[in-house]
Amino acid sequence: MSAGDGSTGRGIGASVLRREDARHLDGRGEFVPDIRLPGIRDIAFLRSPHAHARIRSITAPPGSKGRVFTAADLPRLTPIRVVTQAAGAKSPPWPPLATDKVRYVGEAIAVCVAPTRGEAEDLANSIEVEYEVLEAAVDAPKVWRGSRHLVHESWGDNLYLERTIEGGDIEAAARAAEITVTREYRMNRQSGAPMEGRAVLAYRDHRLDEVVVYASTQTPHTVRVALGEILDIEQRRIRVVAPDVGGGFGPKARLYPEEIILAALALELDHPVRWVEDRTEHLLTCAHTRDHHYKVTAYADRQGKVLGVDTDIIVDAGAYGLWPQGPYQEANMAGRTLPGPYTIPNYRARTYTVATNKTPLGPYRGVGRPGACFAIERTIDEVARAVGRDPAEVRIENMIRSEQMPYASIAGMRYDTGDYPASVRLCAELLDMPAIRARQKQGEADGRLIGIGFASFTEQTAHGAAEFASRGASIIPGFESCTARILPDGSLVLMVGIQSHGQGLETTLSQIACHELGIDPDHISVRHGDTESTAFGFGTFASRSMVMSGGAVARASRMLRDKLCRIGAHLLQCDAAETRCEGGAVHGPRGSVTIGEIAKVAHLRMDGLPPGVDPLLDMTATYEPQISTGVFSYATHGAVVAVDPETGFIELLDFAVAEDCGTMVNPMIVEGQIRGGVAQGIGTALYEEIPYDAQGQPLAVTFADYLMPGAAELPAIKIGHMHTPASATEYGMKGMGEGGAVAPPAAIANAVRDALAAIGGPKGAEVNETPLTPARVLAAIHKAKQKT
Amino acid sequence: MTAIRFRLNGADVAEDVAPRLSLADLLRDRHNLTATHLGCEHGVCGACTVLVDGMPARACLMLAVACDDRDIRSLEGLRDDPVIAALRDSFHRRHAVQCGFCTPGMLISARDLIRRGKAGSEAEIRNGLAGNLCRCTGYTNIVSAIAEAAETVKTQGNAS
Amino acid sequence: MKPAAFDYARPRSLSEALELLARPNVDARVIAGGQSLVAMMNLRVASPGLLVDIARLPDLGSVTEEDSTVFYGACVTHAMIEDRVGPDPSHGLMPKVAETLAYRAIRNRGTIGGSLALADPAAEWPCVLAALDATAIIEGWKGKKAVACKDFVTGIYETRIAAGEILAAIWVPKLSPEARWGYVKLARKAGEFALSLAVAVRDPARGYARVVLGAVDGPPLILDAASRLCARGRPDAAAARDAIAADLARAADRQFDAFRRSLHATAALRALTQAIQ
Repeated sequence: MSAGDGSTGRGIGASVLRREDARHLDGRGEFVPDIRLPGIRDIAFLRSPHAHARIRSITAPPGSKGRVFTAADLPRLTPIRVVTQAAGAKSPPWPPLATDKVRYVGEAIAVCVAPTRGEAEDLANSIEVEYEVLEAAVDAPKVWRGSRHLVHESWGDNLYLERTIEGGDIEAAARAAEITVTREYRMNRQSGAPMEGRAVLAYRDHRLDEVVVYASTQTPHTVRVALGEILDIEQRRIRVVAPDVGGGFGPKARLYPEEIILAALALELDHPVRWVEDRTEHLLTCAHTRDHHYKVTAYADRQGKVLGVDTDIIVDAGAYGLWPQGPYQEANMAGRTLPGPYTIPNYRARTYTVATNKTPLGPYRGVGRPGACFAIERTIDEVARAVGRDPAEVRIENMIRSEQMPYASIAGMRYDTGDYPASVRLCAELLDMPAIRARQKQGEADGRLIGIGFASFTEQTAHGAAEFASRGASIIPGFESCTARILPDGSLVLMVGIQSHGQGLETTLSQIACHELGIDPDHISVRHGDTESTAFGFGTFASRSMVMSGGAVARASRMLRDKLCRIGAHLLQCDAAETRCEGGAVHGPRGSVTIGEIAKVAHLRMDGLPPGVDPLLDMTATYEPQISTGVFSYATHGAVVAVDPETGFIELLDFAVAEDCGTMVNPMIVEGQIRGGVAQGIGTALYEEIPYDAQGQPLAVTFADYLMPGAAELPAIKIGHMHTPASATEYGMKGMGEGGAVAPPAAIANAVRDALAAIGGPKGAEVNETPLTPARVLAAIHKAKQKT
Repeated sequence: MTAIRFRLNGADVAEDVAPRLSLADLLRDRHNLTATHLGCEHGVCGACTVLVDGMPARACLMLAVACDDRDIRSLEGLRDDPVIAALRDSFHRRHAVQCGFCTPGMLISARDLIRRGKAGSEAEIRNGLAGNLCRCTGYTNIVSAIAEAAETVKTQGNAS
Repeated sequence: MKPAAFDYARPRSLSEALELLARPNVDARVIAGGQSLVAMMNLRVASPGLLVDIARLPDLGSVTEEDSTVFYGACVTHAMIEDRVGPDPSHGLMPKVAETLAYRAIRNRGTIGGSLALADPAAEWPCVLAALDATAIIEGWKGKKAVACKDFVTGIYETRIAAGEILAAIWVPKLSPEARWGYVKLARKAGEFALSLAVAVRDPARGYARVVLGAVDGPPLILDAASRLCARGRPDAAAARDAIAADLARAADRQFDAFRRSLHATAALRALTQAIQ
């Protein structure tokens, strides 16, 4: 039997238009706050106004019993505990509602229930809390050791984990160096800020004896695992549903106290309860992201060939660890990704994951990679400048060549396939580098300075057991599942454990099934995000869904195809080896029978089945790639900027991505993911920041202060593709969802560096901190001018 | 409670509202019109954009009581609108939707740009979308979809 | 975030509005477009007891002219000004200011009077109207009072509107045909509040020139030396820089950090240069 293929134009490689669009364009999307149930009561939280304080007393207003709950009123709430295998790691218990202490501004202290959200907020505002305010630990590089202000008193310091990643002999590299470049870099704290905040709706279903939790989450199955453990309820009595989710990007791939509290309240009260996060709550208490400090020293020869890199990495991880993975992977990823796509032979990364009195840090598109990319790509540019050569050339010379694949990096990453230097050349071509250089020579009438900069990176995707085990994780998202079910009329339902929240997986997974089964996507439904209707899966994050879930869909589809062909062969009275499944039918040498007809036999006329073949057309499969250390997409990003040296304002004139993610299932959707990621990377590069003051107060808690790029701030993003299939996945696919967000900060900072290369003399001005605000740019210009 | 009468998606409505109820919450909770989304409630993100007396306005900043005697239209009331139809078609073909949360507000703002003749160039469209944030698409396809829909509308002579 | 509860009234006339504001023991506040006020109330940084809605008072919504003045009712929206509804006394300055103010959906409802009366330090109209030598007309129980816009804002969110009074109209003198202006708004993204704002108006036929800075963490700042230089009309970048620096140094009550001071100086110079060319 042979497979159907994309020759119908609707399978792998086709830019099939999305089925998700119809409901959203019609205003019929169903996000958690859109769900209507009789008797819903709305929730508001009383949240800590202090970064660090003991709670002396909580006094709810008279008559509020049954409407105001503290930790003492909900004994069902046990602490969230991240379990890690990483040696020496500390993991603080996190009570969903604060008990004796609050450790960050926004930490939830009490939950209030009322007929409307406005009334619930009134109730929250009328609760009196007596605090003993304590000094806050705020400056991560200063407080991780030796501070009197401990976030967790029993620790003795403010260090979640200290870990060194090394290979080769860094001291030897230092001795051999002809050029030494040392820099400090800072990627400031920000938010993931999806357009829809978090939301939870919970109620008791008495017919099914379960508590139902609708949540705007990327990981419904693991949320169920957590709810079962923390509330001590068997998982068969919990249902978690992620309906339409208005963007996730990583912060929604973690468990939150609010999910546990709402479930507990639903059990306590006999009506549905709903919490819809407002934007201030989101900016205050949904996972914060990025917040890395780097010190990097690169040792090189006088051609710019890097002999070794030595780095200290500090991650400001906030007051608690987000379940399941905790804060540990951020520094781990940064340390192991920093060598980049380069053949660096000697390396040391000393990483420190620090506790502070700030919002807990969580994953956000790219996780540790944008910071690491910023650090290494800025450094490569500075090495090039130190030896007087073009950064693009020095970059290419240091890169791993395609003949060297698969390549084990000095930090233990196993790069599988790709041609990294080609991506640099393609990116420069997309931006028409000679034209930019000519323009720079000419100068601008308005006095602005033009610059062009590049940044290259690899993106570890669809990593599974081996990778997560090496991170010390105690929950290993190493596989995905698919149940593929053909119904009595021949239509197909794919039930998957991932959760599509903009990635178009309802469309692309059906393309894979189409490829295997020859059933058109218009006759395929994809069900996801619901623990009720799907086998266990981990959800959508870490650029894994296409490879992992797509692989499971492929396997389950092939299992179905085999059975269809066996039954079809029986109906066609031929041998199964003579059949093929294509165009919605099984074809034999002397005729065809439709999948619908086969399905009828398999369900309604099982007397027509061949001997030894059971009824139903229902297959469940799991999938993990053969290599569980990840398959690596890669790209080079390039930015062209105009910098106003009098104001520090930066305009992005052009931006290009030269990328390779192996086989693309739906090129249109791949490009959409790239552009969306790039826009977020530009946000990190130029706009987004949540600063904290010395008392631990966050200073950007509305969109008036927290700036995100709009359409007017972005150019049209150019994309060039290369195709080097993976060797270890179905169809040679690689994940790619995060890559767009990884390199823009580095590319833009390098472009600014290029624009300001002559400020104050040949050394020029540098900005090594994101976002590159006008104030930071002007300060760098001023500093460079002062040196002369 | 204050009594108000207004026109909602072409139908006359009379009801009593608390002064602090926003138009957004009136639409969503009282009338089950959930296309209008709340992304910030301080007027910046644009997800709640609706038409008030034919002009885009933030439903999160509009008090329901101030809607007395006004003509209110949400996306649900524009299903037969030819400009919206052209936009739905071009948004679909140009992959201008990902998570869908910004989409209703984006469509209403885009319709207004086209009808006021402010969708003639990429720069004009980008500036016109300043009040509609999208976190998923990076805007490229939204801008090209609006340009294409503007062309379609011009050709059809449907802009009024 | 939902506002605290409040009462609401929609008077049918200005005198009815004044009467509502005069009620004792009521924390009453005027609402026009609500684009700033409702946002503040949603965040619970403002919680008035009574909102007095003047948005649809008939006298307050039009743009009219007489002789050498254009009269804006306080509830004229930014969109009306952007779209040039009615006569424009400013040779395109006011429409240009309007078109980069916030976003269209905000402009459709937000009003010029509301913006001036709120006096957010980064708002455009207080600065622009001071530069155009406009006059604010305030109505109260005792009658009308006229306050020059250059004197209207007295602090951050503080104006010459006394308790119980309503800003009713803004009168803008028409610029002569040969008048020139410069407008510079420095903001990090489209529609954002300005980090610095500078307006320069030069109308030699009326013997008038003024350079004003906005987004200066207080009332708009009139730059006297720069204004005199503007009047003279001869381009001299070095002299302009010196004049602006002197003006900024004289503004002793303003605490500019180095970055903001630098932006203000640049914005002022660029606006001045535009007006003189």
